[in-house]
Amino acid sequence: MKCVGCGAEIGLTDKVCPHCGRKNTETAGYRSDMERLKKDSEKTKKKIGEILSENIPIVISAFCMLLLLISVLVTIYVSENAYSFRENAKRKESVKQYDEYSAVIRKYLDAGDYTGFAAFKEYHNIAHWEEPYEDLNLICDMADYYSSMVSAVEEATMFGPEARRYDPESDISNCHRAIQRFYDEFDYRLSDIDSDPYRDNIYDMKAKADIIMEVYLGLDEEGRKSYFSESSIRQEAYLEEVLMND
Amino acid sequence: MTKKLIFRISIAVNIILAIVFVFTLPKAVESLNFEYVEQDTIRPDTLRAYLERENYGTVAAISRAIRGGAEIDPRDEDYYRLGEYGELLFLKEVYDRAGNLETLKEAEGRMEDIRNRMPEYDAVFDKIDQSAANAVRK
Repeated sequence: MKCVGCGAEIGLTDKVCPHCGRKNTETAGYRSDMERLKKDSEKTKKKIGEILSENIPIVISAFCMLLLLISVLVTIYVSENAYSFRENAKRKESVKQYDEYSAVIRKYLDAGDYTGFAAFKEYHNIAHWEEPYEDLNLICDMADYYSSMVSAVEEATMFGPEARRYDPESDISNCHRAIQRFYDEFDYRLSDIDSDPYRDNIYDMKAKADIIMEVYLGLDEEGRKSYFSESSIRQEAYLEEVLMND
Repeated sequence: MTKKLIFRISIAVNIILAIVFVFTLPKAVESLNFEYVEQDTIRPDTLRAYLERENYGTVAAISRAIRGGAEIDPRDEDYYRLGEYGELLFLKEVYDRAGNLETLKEAEGRMEDIRNRMPEYDAVFDKIDQSAANAVRK
C-alpha cells in the first residue's frame, strides 16, 4: 500500500511509515486481526502438542503391536511354506544349471544306474514335466517306479542273520505292490516308451527289473510269466513263501 | 482413565505377541535351513535303529539320497555311507548279469573306497555282505 503522507510504498503491518514517519492508522484493524489470529494459532498448536504428548505412549504401543503382529504372521507363513521355498529355489537352480545337470544325468543313464538317477533328480528337484527337462518326463516317471521296486525288494530281502524286522508281512505287501506298479506302468505306457528318446534306457530298466526278479525272488522268464498270470493274492502268497521261508 | 486402560491392554497384547514371536522365530529360521530335505523325515536315529535291527535293505533304500549327490551332515554321513554300500552290493549282482561291466567295476571301486574309509565298521560291512549273499536265490 502507499503512505497517505508521502506516497511511498509501505507494508500492511507497518505501524509508521519508514520514509516520512507518519502513523499508519489505515491498517490498524488489519494489524489487530493478525495479532488475534496469531494468538489463536499458538493456542491451537499448544493444544495439539498437549493431546499428542498425552497419547504418545498409546501410539507407540499400537505401532509396536502392529510390528509384532506382522512379524508373527511372517514367521508363521515362512514356517508353513519353507518346504515350497526350498523346493522352488532348487527347481530354479536346476534350470540355471541345466548344462551341468544334463551331463550328470547322461552319466547316470549311460551307466544304467537308474536308482542313482532317480535320487539325483529328486535331490535337485528337477521339474521333468516342464522346460528345459521335459524330454526326461517318461524316463523320470519310470525311474521312480523302478527305484520304488528296488527299495521294496531290498527291504524284503536284505537283512542280517539276527535281524529283528518291524513288519515282514508289510514288507512283502509293499514289495508286491511296487513290482506290480512298475510292470503295470511299463505295459500301460509301452506305446509312449517306444517313441520316447530314452526308449533304450527304459527297456534297459525293464531288463534290470527282470534280473532283480530272477536274482532276488527266484523268478526267471518262465517264472515271471506264471507269476504275472496269477491273481494278486496268489502273487503275494508266492512272495511270502519265497521270502519268509529263509 | 480410559486412555490408561487402553494403554495397559495394548502393553499386555504386546507382551503376548512378543512371546509368540520369540517361540515362532527359531522354527522359521530352522525350517529355512537349506539342508537335504529328506533329513527332515529320515532322521539319522531312524537309520541307526534299522542298522541295529540289521534291516540292511531298509538302510540301503532310505539312504539312497546320498547317491544322488545329497549333502549330509558330516556327523551322520557314516550311516548313509553304510546304506550306500548296501545298495551298491544289491545292484552289483544286477549290473553283473546285465553286462554293465564298467558300472560294475565302478560300484566295486566305490564299495572298496567306503570300506577303506570306515574301518571301524568292518563287522557291519561283513554282516551286510552276508545279508546280500543270503538275499540271492540259489
